[in-house]
Amino acid sequence: MKKNNEAQPGYQLTKKDYNQINKRSLFGFQMGWNYERMQGSGYLYTILPQLRKIYGDGTPELKEAMKTHNQFFNTSNFFNTIITGIDLAIEGKKGADSLDTVAGIKTGLMGPFAAIGDSLFAALVPTIMGAIAATMAAQGNPLGLFLWLAVNIAIMVFRWKQLHFAYKTGTKLVSEMQGQLNALTDAATLLGVFIVGALIASMINIQVPLVAHLGKVSLSVQSNIDMILPKLVPACVVGLVYWLLGKKGMTSTKVIFIVIIFAIALSAIGVLGKI
Amino acid sequence: MSFTIVQILLLTAYSMYNIYDELQMNSSLSQPVWAGMISGLIMGDMKTGLVIGAALQLTVLGVGTFGGASKIDANSGTVLATAFSIGTGMKAATAIAAIGVPVAALLTSFDILARFANTYFQHKVDKDIENFNYKGIERHTIMGALPWCLSRGIPVFLALALGQGVVKTMVTYLNGDLAWLNTGLQTAGATLPAVGFAILLHYLPVKKHIAYLILGFTITALLSTVFTNIQALGTGLGAASKAFTTTFNALPMLAIALIGGAFAILEYKKSMAKITAAPATNAANSSDDEDEEDDEIEDANGEVDGDEEE
Repeated sequence: MKKNNEAQPGYQLTKKDYNQINKRSLFGFQMGWNYERMQGSGYLYTILPQLRKIYGDGTPELKEAMKTHNQFFNTSNFFNTIITGIDLAIEGKKGADSLDTVAGIKTGLMGPFAAIGDSLFAALVPTIMGAIAATMAAQGNPLGLFLWLAVNIAIMVFRWKQLHFAYKTGTKLVSEMQGQLNALTDAATLLGVFIVGALIASMINIQVPLVAHLGKVSLSVQSNIDMILPKLVPACVVGLVYWLLGKKGMTSTKVIFIVIIFAIALSAIGVLGKI
Repeated sequence: MSFTIVQILLLTAYSMYNIYDELQMNSSLSQPVWAGMISGLIMGDMKTGLVIGAALQLTVLGVGTFGGASKIDANSGTVLATAFSIGTGMKAATAIAAIGVPVAALLTSFDILARFANTYFQHKVDKDIENFNYKGIERHTIMGALPWCLSRGIPVFLALALGQGVVKTMVTYLNGDLAWLNTGLQTAGATLPAVGFAILLHYLPVKKHIAYLILGFTITALLSTVFTNIQALGTGLGAASKAFTTTFNALPMLAIALIGGAFAILEYKKSMAKITAAPATNAANSSDDEDEEDDEIEDANGEVDGDEEE
């Protein structure tokens, strides 16, 4: 450990590092998943040994780096090591000065990778392979199950390999395109913001099931909201939570409690419901 | 009692492994068809297991978890439906409808509880960072496995140990008198991703890119409505006439991501043009950027400050 201390701004990942990161990613990345920071602690856990090598044990830089990587993070667990690879390439080269850039890149990339990864690996592959396996299994034939297992093992190999590729790309980014890094961070955060907008419109599946009866006319509240703007309810909820989070003394844990209580209460009186 | 202790323990252990596999390796061993086959093997009738697993697999086809949303726990539903079907001689179709689907839906609440309980370990990690306790960071991250695995293990174990009668009573009770709580929890589960997105927005330079937030939202809101309506139309036509065989798919999120990607490329080119046009001011620009991002990182510590809003 001591030796690495002096080699501070120029640590390069070794084969052992790759394996360690991949192992942690494949077997422990999402264990700490929580509503407050989602994969926050998981991201830190995955790269902790490498951070210690880059900054040296017990240094204030290490603490700063650990704090940076223990923040909100959520992406597809099929693509997370791509972000890790780019991150470590930059940090290994530039040290603690790069933590702001790294935080920007992480936030900018996690949204797009979440969208792509989820649509590919959480929806597309299970739909195709699940349909094949289920059709065969309905006749008592387990062959489709093993086919699915084989496909997913192939995907695991691909997950294992991508870190190396991402690290190399990241290294190239830092050494060859100094000025481009800011432009890239800017573009990545733009994409991040765009994707969050898309996620708000597609992933919060709530509606107002209330039907008002005015004499003989029944009026569906949701269809009236849809006339103004579809998905207005999710947008309002996110706006409210965003505003709540900006309040002094408000923590995300408190906000989660508030949302749960309000959702149950509003659902009980029939104002809010799941689609 | 229709189960041996070994069977109960094996099924419980498998249901705990289920969620671990789903979160980490994703080997497909945590999919309902596999749950059916493995539970069938444990119970001594693989074929019934496969049939039940296949039925529940088709039920959740295309239902993925997105952005940390909970989905119905068809795996535990399959485990219990298979166990009760083989153990008590219940017909497979009855087991699917009476146990598989309702249990799968009920266990969504346990998923939400696990995701919530792990917040505790997240705060432990915060403390470990302050103390440079590296082992603690690792231990407290991995200990998140406890709420995850227990969220499946406890209900499956209890259901098997208490038996079919109790499960049925529970299901009818939770769907009857306590239905408001059950649907409420599911509504909460559907709403909670909003918190994640809102936190995310506090980290991103929203003010700078507000136009793209609006674009991303509006494009998706409109297109997803169109796609959903076309799908509903297709299902309706298919039901009305057998001659109508065309099926319509849901809105592909990749397409939305590509539109966002195009905007990002434009932005990248624009800022690159700025950099090459004025290389001297580059240094000043970059330090400005860093200041901006500093604020966002401060926010990150769970306590989000209000200066950004008002």
